Amino acid sequence: MSKINHTAQQETVDSGPSTERQLIGDRGNHLLDRIEGETGANISACYQCERCTNACPASYYMDIKPHQVIRYVQLGWHENLMRSSTIWVCLSCEMCTTYCPNEVDVAGVINHLRNTAAHSSIPPKERHLAVFHQTFLEQLQRFGRVNELWLMNAFNRKPHILKEKIKNGTLKKEIRLGYALWRKGKLHFIPRRSKAIKEIKEVYRRKRGEVF
Amino acid sequence: MKLSFYPGCSLEGMANDYARSIIAVFKQLGIELIELEDWTCCGATAAHSLSEMMAVTLPARNLATAEKLGLDLVSPCANCFNRLRFSQVMIQKNIYDVPWQVSGDLQIHEMTRFLAEPDMIKLIKQRVTRPLSGLKVVCYYGCQMVRPPKITGFTDYENPQTLDLLARAVGAEVRDWSFKTTCCGASIGIGRKDIQESLTGRLLQKALQTGADAIVVSCPLCQSNLDIFQMDAGGSGIPVFYFTELMRLAFKKNDKAHKWFKVHFTDPVPLLKEKGFLT
Repeated sequence: MSKINHTAQQETVDSGPSTERQLIGDRGNHLLDRIEGETGANISACYQCERCTNACPASYYMDIKPHQVIRYVQLGWHENLMRSSTIWVCLSCEMCTTYCPNEVDVAGVINHLRNTAAHSSIPPKERHLAVFHQTFLEQLQRFGRVNELWLMNAFNRKPHILKEKIKNGTLKKEIRLGYALWRKGKLHFIPRRSKAIKEIKEVYRRKRGEVF
Repeated sequence: MKLSFYPGCSLEGMANDYARSIIAVFKQLGIELIELEDWTCCGATAAHSLSEMMAVTLPARNLATAEKLGLDLVSPCANCFNRLRFSQVMIQKNIYDVPWQVSGDLQIHEMTRFLAEPDMIKLIKQRVTRPLSGLKVVCYYGCQMVRPPKITGFTDYENPQTLDLLARAVGAEVRDWSFKTTCCGASIGIGRKDIQESLTGRLLQKALQTGADAIVVSCPLCQSNLDIFQMDAGGSGIPVFYFTELMRLAFKKNDKAHKWFKVHFTDPVPLLKEKGFLT
């Protein structure tokens, strides 16, 4: 019996969340305990009222809805969450956390999962968004501040980004927008640097293992 | 009166019109803004998405610099304010170690809330020489400024009033609506244009339904989403002002005022001419 359930679990991992039955607590309370401990969110208090999902402005675009995220954590279905689009689509607008009647920090949990996914080898479902965040931090490390033009330039130079943008025609639009922004004096070709860049680089160096 | 000022990256680039109007308004109010020396980026959404540790450490340097100055810090950008406060709260709780000396008792003001204090409103009303009467606006606060209330300290996070008070102080007519704090999509447009367009589109549509002539914002990212991407989101040309631009307009008659609005993508000059605020 356990063997059959195990294979079912394996299949659903690849196809994302599914309606097939999965073992409850296949990892004990390991995930629940860990995330509760690391974020301080009282996930166990959730009674699935779906207030978070109803408040969320982006829940329509999520494959695992916010209230389901909490349930998945309770059940220990970590892989499904890591492969979901939810963790990348989440806007961190904190609607869910603010309106939860049990004060479950839903946005904090999703952010924690996103941090974990960023450091895992699982390819993110929303690749563009994940790569953009990483590029942002790289630019910050380089100049201490972020220049929009250099940021977009560095983002476009990441593998496959430019190719995909040319394919779906957004590059043309982006260049036109960039030109218009430059005409209005909103873009600067020379990035402004902070003199404290050495200290910022030290932070990155100290925590290298944790950041990238 | 002196305040230390943390502008943030947006105000050097995309939102330089916001920066100019802030400097002009504070000058007229007689408050000196001292820009933090060698300030660095707060990390914005990217830092906390990838590593909470970075989200606490990156703003900490600015907190340390501001504490050394010994003045209250004011932040005009909603996201910067949120990240600075978040970092401060986490340092107070001793959750992360930061390489700088931060005691955590610095007073960080959100710019609209600072200006919406009763004394400041009184001062603003005195400075207004040309009330913007007849201009119907809705105020849009966005998410980072008010939420989570435990970090930002807003008690009226469901129906914030700071921008409303400021808009009324300069004589504008404020329309009420229920989308004050609904997210505009933030930086998600980089990867998922469809989500950003639907969220922004809904805001624009609802703003129009209230019968407003313009939207008043205080967040640089909200302004660019609502203004620059307005046509993509199916908007109908409703101007999006920073609240400081309206204040600047109301404070002093200026023949060059139409130049300030050249950087807007949705041109507000026809509206302002029609209402008689520009010649």
